[in-house]
Amino acid sequence: MSSVAPIIRFEAVDKWYAEYHALANINAEVAKGEVVVVCGPSGSGKSTLIRTVNRLEEIQKGRIYFEGQDIHAGSLELNKFRSHVGFVFQSFNLFPHLSVADNIMLAPTTVLKRSKADARDKAAQLLTRVGLASKIDAYPGQLSGGQQQRVAIARALAMDPPAMLFDEPTSALDPEMVGEVLQVMKSLARDGMTMICVTHEMNFAREVADRVWFMDEGRIVETGDPESFFSNPKTERARRFLSDLRSH
Amino acid sequence: MGDILAILRDFGPLLLIGQYPNGPLGGLAITLLLSVLGIALAFPLGVALALARISPFKWLYWPATAVVYVMRGLPLIMVIFWVYFFLPVLLGRPVSGFTTMLATLVVYQGAYLAEIVRAGIESLPKGQMEAARAVGLSYMQAMRKVILPQALYNMVPSMLSQFVSTIKETSLGYVISVNELTFAANQINSTLLSKPFQVFAILAGIYFILCFCLTQLARHLERRISRRRAGQAAGAPVPVLPIALATTE
Repeated sequence: MSSVAPIIRFEAVDKWYAEYHALANINAEVAKGEVVVVCGPSGSGKSTLIRTVNRLEEIQKGRIYFEGQDIHAGSLELNKFRSHVGFVFQSFNLFPHLSVADNIMLAPTTVLKRSKADARDKAAQLLTRVGLASKIDAYPGQLSGGQQQRVAIARALAMDPPAMLFDEPTSALDPEMVGEVLQVMKSLARDGMTMICVTHEMNFAREVADRVWFMDEGRIVETGDPESFFSNPKTERARRFLSDLRSH
Repeated sequence: MGDILAILRDFGPLLLIGQYPNGPLGGLAITLLLSVLGIALAFPLGVALALARISPFKWLYWPATAVVYVMRGLPLIMVIFWVYFFLPVLLGRPVSGFTTMLATLVVYQGAYLAEIVRAGIESLPKGQMEAARAVGLSYMQAMRKVILPQALYNMVPSMLSQFVSTIKETSLGYVISVNELTFAANQINSTLLSKPFQVFAILAGIYFILCFCLTQLARHLERRISRRRAGQAAGAPVPVLPIALATTE
């Protein structure tokens, strides 16, 4: 691992939903520019894990640091902090009553108080980057799933986040639309974006991930570079998971 | 039928606008004024109550919940009596029948609208609030810019139905002598003495036409909204509410 200070650090993190131990003693780091793919069976805590990073889920024990800042410190301005963490949801969660431009401009104009003109310029740039320049005035309902997810990525990028979190960004998509979204994510990774992606796309992981975290029952049970993880997993649980994944 | 036309000819203006401009405004004009003002003022109250009802703060939740339950558990006429007798005491000065009725409708309809708005908010996918918070909006910013615009739009048909109820409820103003439509009809009946059937047929007709048109409008809007929800774009069978994609897998 690089010697640079980690951009995201989990320190002995525990989370319970009532009795259910959702995250158990998570210790992990993500360095600047690193791409981490989180995989594991459903219910293993992958989504919960990345949702703790921008405090969509609260934790009961441990600490999480983002760019060296304890994200549970009393002095943290939660809304400002969240605006620095790009988050992409499985179900896109675009705002259906707003145009594509307004979806992207909402946070810059509301949180950062940027002017409408500047925000729209930036939205246009970002849409070009995700290949949807022509859809700036469309509404989410007029876009395909893949296009909606690309707009959602542009929306997250509009706040210039130092890191992006992806929560199964392609799981709700028809197979023929998965590629276009992965393409955008790959180009982000190549541009040096720090990313944590919860995904089962093995080819994506192989191609761009620096590391894979394999989770089961709320724990990170195995980490490694994607090549050795996929071809030669160390734990029995990971072997079983991978063979299940391939048989589909 | 001839009687009805004759009554309409002689008393039409009284039914529509009361004695205005020679006397106070009354009749249908007051009924509409009460309904429109009532729903317009009840609306912000309803939104505020709804927000308090879904608030995690107990000191907001409990009083709002109490207001909503009490109002929904009382007959309107009883609320009218309460306001009629207690508002003047509270304010220390006499209160007109119109103001009494308006205040009653605002509180009463506010409680019903609160439940409509709350249902509208809670029927939105959870991801909408999460996405708004994730880009850095505060809770209230997310409510104002993301949640309420969608919830209220979806609730337009229910709110129109509530408006129809309000129109009918204004007739209870009769018991505290608000000179609205029913009051005017009763005045006419007292003048004519011998034609109650015709007079009250006219009264029924006016209420029915008004409410029927609004109900039709509500139905039309409801169809339009559900069409929009089902996805309107050519070739893209994508629901307006994106969560549907994830759950129909």
